[in-house]
Amino acid sequence: MSARISGISGKVGFNDLKQLPGFWTRKLGKDLYEVFIGPQHPGSGHMRIIIRVDGDVIVEADPDMGYVHRTMEKLGEGREWIKGIPLYERMAIHDACNVTLPYVEAVEKLLGIEPPLRAKYLRVLLCEINRIAAFLYGFGIFGVFVGHSTMYMWPFGDREVWVELADWLTGARLTHSYPIFGGVRRDAPEGFTDSLRKAIRYMRKRLEEYRKIYVDNPVIRARLEDVGVIPRNLAIELGITGPNLRASGVEYDVRYNAPYEVYDELDFEIPVFQEGDSLARVWQRVEEIKQSLHILEQVADWLDKHKGEQIMHDRFWKTAPPLYKKVFQETGRVKLVPVFALLKVPKGKAYARAETARGEISYYVESNGANKPYRVRIVSASARNAIVFKYILPGHRVMDLPTIYGSIDYFPPEGDR
Amino acid sequence: MPPKPVPKTKPKRGIFHKFKGNLEAIIVGVKYFFDPERFTLVYPKEYTKLREGYRGFIVLIKDKCIHCASCARICPASAMKMIRIPQKDPKTGKTKMVMWPVINYQRCIFCGMCVDVCPTEALYHVPYHDVVYENLAEMDIDLESFTKPPEYKTAKEGIPVRYVIDEEKGLVKVPYKEGEEK
Amino acid sequence: MNWIELIIKIIIWPPLWQLIVLGLIVPLVVVIGILWFERKTAARVQRRFGPLHVSPQLGGALQLIADLMRYAFQEVIIPKTVDKGVFLLAPLTALVLSIVPLVAVPFTSVARWWPIPMDYSVLISLALSTVSAIFIVLASWASNNKFSIIGGMRESYMITAYEIAIIISILSTAAMTLSYNFVDVVNAQEGWKWFAVLNPLAFLAAFIGVLMATSGFPFEIPESENEVVAGPYTEYSGLLYGVNMGAAYIKRFVYSVLITLAFFGGWLPYHPGTGFLSGYLYPSIIVVVKATILMAIFSFLRAVYGRYRLDQALDFAWKILFPLALFGLGLGILEAYLGLI
Repeated sequence: MSARISGISGKVGFNDLKQLPGFWTRKLGKDLYEVFIGPQHPGSGHMRIIIRVDGDVIVEADPDMGYVHRTMEKLGEGREWIKGIPLYERMAIHDACNVTLPYVEAVEKLLGIEPPLRAKYLRVLLCEINRIAAFLYGFGIFGVFVGHSTMYMWPFGDREVWVELADWLTGARLTHSYPIFGGVRRDAPEGFTDSLRKAIRYMRKRLEEYRKIYVDNPVIRARLEDVGVIPRNLAIELGITGPNLRASGVEYDVRYNAPYEVYDELDFEIPVFQEGDSLARVWQRVEEIKQSLHILEQVADWLDKHKGEQIMHDRFWKTAPPLYKKVFQETGRVKLVPVFALLKVPKGKAYARAETARGEISYYVESNGANKPYRVRIVSASARNAIVFKYILPGHRVMDLPTIYGSIDYFPPEGDR
Repeated sequence: MPPKPVPKTKPKRGIFHKFKGNLEAIIVGVKYFFDPERFTLVYPKEYTKLREGYRGFIVLIKDKCIHCASCARICPASAMKMIRIPQKDPKTGKTKMVMWPVINYQRCIFCGMCVDVCPTEALYHVPYHDVVYENLAEMDIDLESFTKPPEYKTAKEGIPVRYVIDEEKGLVKVPYKEGEEK
Repeated sequence: MNWIELIIKIIIWPPLWQLIVLGLIVPLVVVIGILWFERKTAARVQRRFGPLHVSPQLGGALQLIADLMRYAFQEVIIPKTVDKGVFLLAPLTALVLSIVPLVAVPFTSVARWWPIPMDYSVLISLALSTVSAIFIVLASWASNNKFSIIGGMRESYMITAYEIAIIISILSTAAMTLSYNFVDVVNAQEGWKWFAVLNPLAFLAAFIGVLMATSGFPFEIPESENEVVAGPYTEYSGLLYGVNMGAAYIKRFVYSVLITLAFFGGWLPYHPGTGFLSGYLYPSIIVVVKATILMAIFSFLRAVYGRYRLDQALDFAWKILFPLALFGLGLGILEAYLGLI
């Protein structure tokens, strides 16, 4: 078919075109009404959901993603190893540390190094700050989707607290580029843990107010309850991940099933809700924020006890000149040895995964011994969650579409990579 | 202590949940109506004084530079480039080509890796980011302007403030005084 | 008689006064004020400043004038696929018809200052208030757009469900006073016997009905932004879109005036005199101020609530609000029978 289209000049029939992927057509039922939600639509992100409605009820839904595909994997093959870190965090910049951490871990596995303990705690610190900020971002989007303008503004305002903390720690509000092969780039500054504890107490107070004005608000509760139910077996079958999976009653969290960094030393719960509807997904996120706050408290205590420890692996720190150590003592900034620019990673394959705010992200990294990766394969959480729309939208009303879209917390740039 | 999964269910509804829910929502709304606790930055009248260590614009200290090109090599966005400039050697009097880094702010992503990799601390960040360029060509910085901090043109008449994290109000704006850190 | 007297006489001629001054100019001012209040209230609850920079001394009130001018001078785009005549006429007709109920509303007890005889004013004003919604549905049909048509369908469902509750609950005041005359309804509330206190069921039904039927954010299910872009108004732009929005707000103002007269004692406790000032202007101002306060309460609720789903809203209307209005009617009749009024 493709030979005919490319070979014969200009003689392409309509029937040939119809077989090309973008031209698939299908007959509509007699009473069906086809509505295109997106990609330039206030209710969708950078994606399109084609729905067919019978009256007010959706009978068919096609999620159509890929509008913000940026060839992350291919771009990564043309750059040196370290340049992948600022690149991959652009998948989900408000969740930057979580998204890039498995890449760093996979490369560390290939290099055969393990970061110092304090560096691990600092990574967990930024990961949890990012996780809370990303959940709040999701809440804000969800709020505007169900027409609750206060829930749009409040989480975005409170997210500023966590962004401010991340800015103080790393020097950038969103694109931190914080974890790096062998450690992290900055130490926690003076007075950071005190502010962190204040922010934790503030956030606990605010979660209670969120509950009052939003989650327990009868209007919102009526919108969310028993809407978009993902049954346990369907959730497992579709391979969805993250809070959406746990809200359906599946005990799966990478921090629990395959602990990385220091998550196995920390005491926290993995909340698992049983109902699997939109309201359970909201409660899931609220409970996870509470657990993240609990983790942050423990990390703050640990960091206070172990001040001034090394945060870079010896391989890159032992040979560092005295100036480097002086800068680290004075400002907490880890200077990179120039070898980082042309780092050659030993031949091999590595796999690493992490739990981001939206679910599991996994990196498969292959090196052929050069200073650039041979292959980096990324499977992000949103890419796995997008399929849900096809299966749970049918049977719901048109006004449930934004509710379900918001409660899944789908983030197109992450899904499209 | 490893993490452990805990099964949970949605909170149960009480008998008067509708009445209680409406009342609680309206009370919280009224509370914030009378006591807004806002942390909006009224931008031209006040601007944030960012902390030391913020990854803002990059400045070169010419005397410290050893022309090693590490910064250009590590730059993930290829914003930093080395250019060759003929320069007289003071000892021998001969003219030779010397490499100097320059930066193109159209490409820079402010990851700060060049600053961290510089073996002599010849590069540093200025703690501000709102600099105005009148056209794209200006953003391609030449060596002379790279050695000077970019001119801070915006919100000059405003007062500098700094956000401090507060237990009750989240973020509180505190007026910043010169020389006072933290 | 000189010219100035003639002009004044024309202006204070009751039909002109009530339709043009009270129906068009006062709502414009009130709507600008209410929109400003709504934005500032929402901003306070949401910990923002809201409009501020256009006129910092006035708290950003001139921002609304600027927005109005932007709408007025924006290009009106008429898509090729629409039914041009209906597309243009529908919003204008809806605007005019949303003002018309005011002609049957007395702003004073003095018969000289009534536009029409007020014997059946409750019935006439309620009947006229239901007409304009048809033209919104017509506008959505003329737009020939999928989102518009879904929005128009929703509008028709919502209007039918909620206007019945409004009509029955306002008619319950007629039952309480055994008269279809708004003046009698107001005069029966003499001595702070407001019907909102005597018959809270009917008042609640009317309040919620107006909140839902006039589609202010976030109760604007027909033009719910997240699924149907702007509902019936998706294809409208510039001044025509402004006219559509204005019609919705004028409708809300007219309903607020009706509720003020029916439940909040109209111009009472002021007793109108005979002249223009004491007989017409002051009572009108009192009624408008009461209606504005009511609209301000509507505006505050925007910051607290989210949007109902269409079927839940209809469920609520038919299963809770409609019986509530009927109970209000029964309570009114009972109170009238017991002689409490």
